[in-house]
Amino acid sequence: MKRSPFARLWPNATALVLFVVFAFPVYWMFATALKPTGDIIADDPVFLPTDITFDHFQRAVDADHFWTLVGNSLTVTVLSVVFSLVIALLASFALARMRFKGRRGFILTFMIAQMAPWEVMVIAIYMIVRDADLLNSLVPLTVFYMIMVLPFTILTLRGYVAAVPKELEESAMVDGCTRRQAFVKVIFPLLAPGLMATSLFGFITAWNEFPLVLILNKGIEKQTLPLWLSSFQTTFGDDWGATMAAASLFAVPILVLFVFLQRKAVSGLTSGAVKG
Amino acid sequence: MSVQTERTDTGTAAAPGVRKTDSSPPGPEARTGTKTRGGASAPYLLLLPALLATLVLLGWPLVKNGMLSFQNLNPRQLILHLTEWNGGDNYKEVLGSSDFWKVVQRTVAFTAVNVVLIMVLGTLVGLLLARLGKRMRLLLMLGLVLAWAMPVIAATTVYQWLFAQRFGVVNWLLAKAGWESMADYNWFGTQFSTFSVIILLIVWQSIPFVAINLYAATTTIPKELYEAASIDGAGTWKSFTSVTFPFMRPFLWATTFLEVIWVFKAFPQIFAMNAGGPDRLTETLPIYAFVEGPGNQHYGMGSAISFLTILILLGLTAYYLRTVLKQEEDEL
Amino acid sequence: MKRKLIAAVGVAGMLMSVAACGGDDGDSGEKAGADGFKGETLTVWAMDGSTPPGWTKDLTAAFEKKTGAKLKFETQKWDGIQQKITTALSESTPPDVIEVGNTQTPAYAATGGLADLSDLKSEIGTDWAENLNESAVFDGKQYAAPWYFANRVVIYNKKVWADAGIKGTPKTRDEFFDALETIEKKTDAEPMYLPGQNWYFFDGLTIGQGADLVKKEGDKYVSNLSDPKVAAAMEIYKKYQSFSKAPKDKDEATPQQAEVFAKGNVGAIVGMGWEAGTAIAANKKIEKDIGYFTIPGESADKPEGVFLGGSNLAVAAGSKKQELAKEFLKMALNDKFEGALAKENGVIPNKESLNSVLVGNVVAEAAAPAAAQGGTTPLIPEWAAVENTPNPIKTYMTAVLKGKSPADAAEQVEAEINKRLSQSS
Repeated sequence: MKRSPFARLWPNATALVLFVVFAFPVYWMFATALKPTGDIIADDPVFLPTDITFDHFQRAVDADHFWTLVGNSLTVTVLSVVFSLVIALLASFALARMRFKGRRGFILTFMIAQMAPWEVMVIAIYMIVRDADLLNSLVPLTVFYMIMVLPFTILTLRGYVAAVPKELEESAMVDGCTRRQAFVKVIFPLLAPGLMATSLFGFITAWNEFPLVLILNKGIEKQTLPLWLSSFQTTFGDDWGATMAAASLFAVPILVLFVFLQRKAVSGLTSGAVKG
Repeated sequence: MSVQTERTDTGTAAAPGVRKTDSSPPGPEARTGTKTRGGASAPYLLLLPALLATLVLLGWPLVKNGMLSFQNLNPRQLILHLTEWNGGDNYKEVLGSSDFWKVVQRTVAFTAVNVVLIMVLGTLVGLLLARLGKRMRLLLMLGLVLAWAMPVIAATTVYQWLFAQRFGVVNWLLAKAGWESMADYNWFGTQFSTFSVIILLIVWQSIPFVAINLYAATTTIPKELYEAASIDGAGTWKSFTSVTFPFMRPFLWATTFLEVIWVFKAFPQIFAMNAGGPDRLTETLPIYAFVEGPGNQHYGMGSAISFLTILILLGLTAYYLRTVLKQEEDEL
Repeated sequence: MKRKLIAAVGVAGMLMSVAACGGDDGDSGEKAGADGFKGETLTVWAMDGSTPPGWTKDLTAAFEKKTGAKLKFETQKWDGIQQKITTALSESTPPDVIEVGNTQTPAYAATGGLADLSDLKSEIGTDWAENLNESAVFDGKQYAAPWYFANRVVIYNKKVWADAGIKGTPKTRDEFFDALETIEKKTDAEPMYLPGQNWYFFDGLTIGQGADLVKKEGDKYVSNLSDPKVAAAMEIYKKYQSFSKAPKDKDEATPQQAEVFAKGNVGAIVGMGWEAGTAIAANKKIEKDIGYFTIPGESADKPEGVFLGGSNLAVAAGSKKQELAKEFLKMALNDKFEGALAKENGVIPNKESLNSVLVGNVVAEAAAPAAAQGGTTPLIPEWAAVENTPNPIKTYMTAVLKGKSPADAAEQVEAEINKRLSQSS
């Protein structure tokens, strides 16, 4: 097919514009965080910070218990994601590869579970946790973050499992593997990208969660970073430099994880998502 | 759903075939017995942890929430651990208030606008990705991934800064572009402008998921289909409607469903942006439930609203759920 | 200062209480013994900015020495504090002592979550200023101890005022308006930074106009926002606000008005004395330019009405350390520490006899004349719900500032106010 210069140009031009649209807010966050205050409240925005300062970051990190909160956030996020992956892997294998009574009911259950509006159930959860005497602990946070992402993880992983050719599993079993061995040796390695892709969603959800930790953990030693970020905003008001520095610090782990896992994630998610 | 049976390790022919309609040659089929080792209870055992977790961690709060919605639960009752049943009073009050119904309409409209924008723009960006050369594609992908990966709270904060009345870069840009009156514009002063910012944020964050996945899915479309189409004289549009779209349909369906859920439930974007303001005009159902419940400390009322929220979301997605169930039936 | 601050505290009563206080102090201290509470930790929730570091350190040392128990202060943010206190009071190990805003105290007292401190009142509180103690009494019982109080003043930038050629500070509201106009004309500074929702300043204006925000209808309280006196107060607010470029739909905390003031290009703000400290923290250079004066009223002899904000200390009913908590209150509220807190924070102490510590404190001297005109929000348990976010009165203010007539704006929010007034219990 012959294409005119215009036909070749417009996709590239559009792509460039779109790139700016999508990347700019992220860039602006980092740029603001690195600019001296004078440049932030300039009448004409300074688009390229030449005069770089780390003062804002210093201010953000100086907050009480910052590193405790980082530790808590990491612990809760990683644990909840790992637990949900393990549980979901088992379930998704059954849902993708086995035929049994009540299968549709299970799928429906998980689809509906996915809709749970957690933010508005905080009081019910709070009362349960309070009456179990588990306030100010990372345990309830971990298990509830786990369940928040579990349904999505199951349904997505199911797609990945289904996408692994059955023949591979079968030929492994021809070679004398049990079903479990076939799973561990053949299917699991093929599922790795899928697991990573799915875990991204879990990371984001758990890393961001806010209303629940706010009500469950009043002691600052057991709080997580979103609370720090939001209190930062109310404390510093229009000190955008410090606020953006805090937002940057908060975003960096997820951004790194994403860029790192992205390619695997993409190829994987497709096979998962297409299956529906 | 009995799960108490022990694994039946003998399971030669006892278990019903894992797959009845297997098109593979008779070879593997003959080994069906080996495959179903573990027997009939295996799927239930595998599902057990997930099911238990869901029952305990989701089911219990849901039931608790349902019970609270029939109680008069204010600070006094909460503090003194009193249980005061008040029948359906909470529901009567919520359903009888015009505010609630306004919020419902607003939420449905809000969800529809967002989802349509996300799906249409996301599809277009996805198709664009497929058309681009390798380098440009990588660049655009990078932009998309950055937006996708931004944690919601950080993203919301950044948007507040972009649209800040004083020194916000958007106002500066609009003023420079000749729209002088926008120089000191307060984006969070009216319902429409606040919603515009929120929708922009949500669409910006959601397009990457749709676009990148759609692009990846297009790469799996067999080339022959397009060739066949072009032999039939199909142009770009025609080959999209006759090849790409049908192939993508299940994916688009599934994604629309997910986006409906995610947008409907969007909480931090709206709450952190302007707390449902101005004048409570940007409250959607989850925000409304939060403000009336925990915010105003009428927890029973909040529970009733959240219960209704769940019902409405179920209603909105019922059609999709039914289709999926039918499909499941046909598949295995 | 006759009506409010010099509350009816008889000299006899004062002497008696001092005696009782002194006697008891030594007494119970000895009784409990230095290790009577050993191994226990008393948790105190204080609001952001209430407890200056030096004071906290001295008090903690004295308390730990006397009781043998540990003392832990946890600083709380105002944002979302109501829900936090409510849930905390329901827990099995609530904070033992809680700072509660005076206007919120009746609501918490009504929930049953606060311990009855009536015996403490007769022990150490006979000389508490009566008007300051009002909010701590509910149904005839004492549910909290008055701690400290403060009212707003005008914090102004001397340099901006000098640049505009203004000498002295205004004694009447009209003089104040004239000064702001002069600043507007002669400098490029913003004459005043006043966002549209500085609602406690507005509350002060309604007190100055003698307006009531609620009225009784049968046995229920309903909104009185449509009262012309409220409208008159709002008109004054609107006039002030016209000198500001601040957003009409934000309150003084977003952004912190002191931080805006700290940039040096604002003539004045209406704020609490301690906000000057926030400004100085943001910009050291502003310190020498900061001045204070009493918010002027209609005439020179009568300053503007002000909202007499303040805090009480309450003990959680669910606390298992009632005795220790009372020990803490006795110590924190004794003349030494109560006086030191008032002095360090420049706030009004809970008893008249300590007012002398404020002599020489410029903020307190600016605040004191208005305190006599001070009042609060309606002291009924139902009121706290009205102030929950989104506060309908703030909505009313923004609506008027954006051009609605006060009557229309009042009509817009009254249903919501009445709903909130009728819902709580």
